[in-house]
Amino acid sequence: MNTTYRARRWATTGAGLALALSLAACGGNVGGGSDAEGEDFPGGDPITILVGQDPGGSTDLIARAAAEGLSDDLGVPVTVENKPGANGALAAQELAGEDPDGHTLMVYNGSLAYITPLAVGEGEAPDIADYDIVTGLSLDDYVLVTAPDSGFATVEDLAAAGRPVTFGTTGVGTGSQLSQELLFAQADIDATAVPFDGGSPTLTAVLGGQVDVGSIQLGEAIEQIEAGELTAIVTFAEERPSYLSDVPTAVEAGYDVPVQQARAVFAPKGLPEDVMTALRDGFQAAFEEEAYQQFNEDNQLTAWEVDGDEVRETWTSNLDEYRSVVEEFGIELGGE
Amino acid sequence: MDTLAVDIAPVLDGFTVVLEPTNLLYCLIGVTVGMLVGVLPGLGPAATIAILLPITIGIEPVTAIIMLSGIFYGAQYGGTITSVLLKLPGEASSVVTVFDGHALSRQGRAGTALGIAAIGSFVGGTVSIVALSFLAPVVASFALDFGPPEYTALALLGILLVSTISSGSRLKALVAASIGLLLATVGRDAFTGGERFTFGNLNLADGLDFVPIAMGLFGLGEILYNLEERHTAAQAPMKVANVWPSRRDLRQSSGAIGRGSVLGFVLGILPGGGATLASLAAYAVEKRRSKTPERFGNGAVEGVAGPETANNAAATSSFIPLLTLGIPANATMAVIFGALLVIGVSPGPQLVTEEPELFWGVINSMYIGNILLLIMSIPLVGLFVKILRVRPAILAPITVLITLIGVYTVNNSVFDIVLVIVFGVLGYLMKKLGFDPGPLLLAFVLGVLLEESLRRSLLIFDGNAAEFFTRPISGTLLVVFLLVALLPLIGKAFARRRSAEQQNDTTKELV
Repeated sequence: MNTTYRARRWATTGAGLALALSLAACGGNVGGGSDAEGEDFPGGDPITILVGQDPGGSTDLIARAAAEGLSDDLGVPVTVENKPGANGALAAQELAGEDPDGHTLMVYNGSLAYITPLAVGEGEAPDIADYDIVTGLSLDDYVLVTAPDSGFATVEDLAAAGRPVTFGTTGVGTGSQLSQELLFAQADIDATAVPFDGGSPTLTAVLGGQVDVGSIQLGEAIEQIEAGELTAIVTFAEERPSYLSDVPTAVEAGYDVPVQQARAVFAPKGLPEDVMTALRDGFQAAFEEEAYQQFNEDNQLTAWEVDGDEVRETWTSNLDEYRSVVEEFGIELGGE
Repeated sequence: MDTLAVDIAPVLDGFTVVLEPTNLLYCLIGVTVGMLVGVLPGLGPAATIAILLPITIGIEPVTAIIMLSGIFYGAQYGGTITSVLLKLPGEASSVVTVFDGHALSRQGRAGTALGIAAIGSFVGGTVSIVALSFLAPVVASFALDFGPPEYTALALLGILLVSTISSGSRLKALVAASIGLLLATVGRDAFTGGERFTFGNLNLADGLDFVPIAMGLFGLGEILYNLEERHTAAQAPMKVANVWPSRRDLRQSSGAIGRGSVLGFVLGILPGGGATLASLAAYAVEKRRSKTPERFGNGAVEGVAGPETANNAAATSSFIPLLTLGIPANATMAVIFGALLVIGVSPGPQLVTEEPELFWGVINSMYIGNILLLIMSIPLVGLFVKILRVRPAILAPITVLITLIGVYTVNNSVFDIVLVIVFGVLGYLMKKLGFDPGPLLLAFVLGVLLEESLRRSLLIFDGNAAEFFTRPISGTLLVVFLLVALLPLIGKAFARRRSAEQQNDTTKELV
């Protein structure tokens, strides 16, 4: 692998223009031992993993980390292709149109399966029943944070604020929005949602005291929490994440609002049995690599390497549960 | 943290880190790759860094990040080249460079424009790094004081500037800007999830992207227009002379470079749109200060020097929120953030104290990188300018091809290629009818910022708009906005009255 890298570096300096173009054209993971051509995985053709988010985000990084190990095990190149748009629905739409031969996969965000459908119009979010699911990947936690000088440290403090509370969300139809809407509805707190465009603008607004609180993915806020620049109020998983074990969960605080971001590998519907088995084994091997486990830990991700049936079951019941609780409290995720 | 500005030892340690041969080499590789992707329309630093991420895994964190940041500011240099030579702005922050840069190029002074831009970028970058070294922890909180209300005021001010920078008719500029604002509303509403002008097409759900619009309106539109020109008048390849700026050019632009450095540094700290606003503001300032504003748009050197200095200074200062607060200020910073995580470094408030070697290594590598870029540009400017000697019949199709490939690579989207063609036709029609596409594009960029910030502010204020004036920064900015908008009108009204009624006593008192 090292020689490949070195060669590539020199190529970069030398024929940079041509290389940059060709790199751009393949647009993905240039690593991967692709020396075993035409072996192992059904056919020697490369595998493309679609990502419905921008390069550099958590979903993209997870896809690239898994691709590395998958490529090593299956002996074919695995490239990651970013196709951002509509919370990932654009990439999902493309996936549905591909041949079910195992050579096109997608890292699918749980929020697109069980939260976005509650916020956007009928038919604007894909249905997971239209896909085959290869494996679960990992879980990401949301944490409710506030600036230390806001004077809030617990949910009770927020309830006792004596004024409407503003909360920043990372966008409409996200776990960040759902987790807070559910919490404030159950705690009977008068609160206004202020949607931002993603995690880091939300983080900025909370740090600067522009909004009172915000719900952010753990990996994006952990540094500020550890530095004491943000106070963590609650986390939203059923159990305390190991990365933030001294902060109570919303469930412990007495509210029934388990919300997590989950990710899984999807394939077009109709994957042959042997291809599915080969892929599952390939991913299992990737999960066992130390580099991948270290990656999860560095990014505060909890492994959730369950099989496709369990992913489908969990996500379907999540959607039903959220739909009923949202109706019960009269919450509008996407207002008119 | 406060002692940071005084404690010089880690700063010097940073230099020893940079001067290690490996790090110097990677710095060189970074800026070279950056410059080259900057030259390719569409393919930006964010995508390139993402693509090169796997390469960084095997090497030292400091080395990796030195290379990646080199790509980022190298691309700022490269982007100027296409703006000037081919009228293809790769990023929102180099749109204003097109106005005078391309005009200079048509006069055979492309070398002057590129030379001034390189010098301006170098000065802007360097000033910004020096400021960054000494002020980073102090000014970081400035970014946090900018909430939605402040951005609203800033965007309003920016849109006002847009209508004044156009060189043609004021009315046509306003029409173009309005179309830009309208285009900014396309996409899924960020507050309700409702679809706006998307016609059920998921490709439009996130709104229109800046790159295809810019490539179409300017690059493709220009090529189409020139094709038609060729039939009416035989067009020789552009003449290329004056490779280097004259002493007079340098004198003319020295003020612009100074002002651009300061504006760029300050506005670059703001997450989202900072660099665009900086280049826009620098251009408007130069035009307003000039005794001969009519030269702007027709090849004024200051019109290249100001914004080019500002966007490079802004690119550098946008590292401040990332390195001190752990907040990525733009798309490229977000990818660098991701890259740091991959190599096992978490950017955040503790970075300076926990990893001083990395922090100062990166910052000091920027000094070296900027020097390398300046040295490289000298021979390269001559080389790039030669592109213009190529006959249009050969150059145009190649440009179109590279543009379309470049745009495709941004989102791997065929839809974006269609967008380029649609906006290319629009750009052609606008040029034919005497409309300047600049205001359209800038209003489009600022329109998104204005709408979202305004709606966020009103949510925060619970609908009470008066609170805009009770916050110090937004209040001040709005007063400036009102002054800039109303003063010329008031002045004009008085002038008219004076000439009409010939009685100046009362008017003078009022003034």
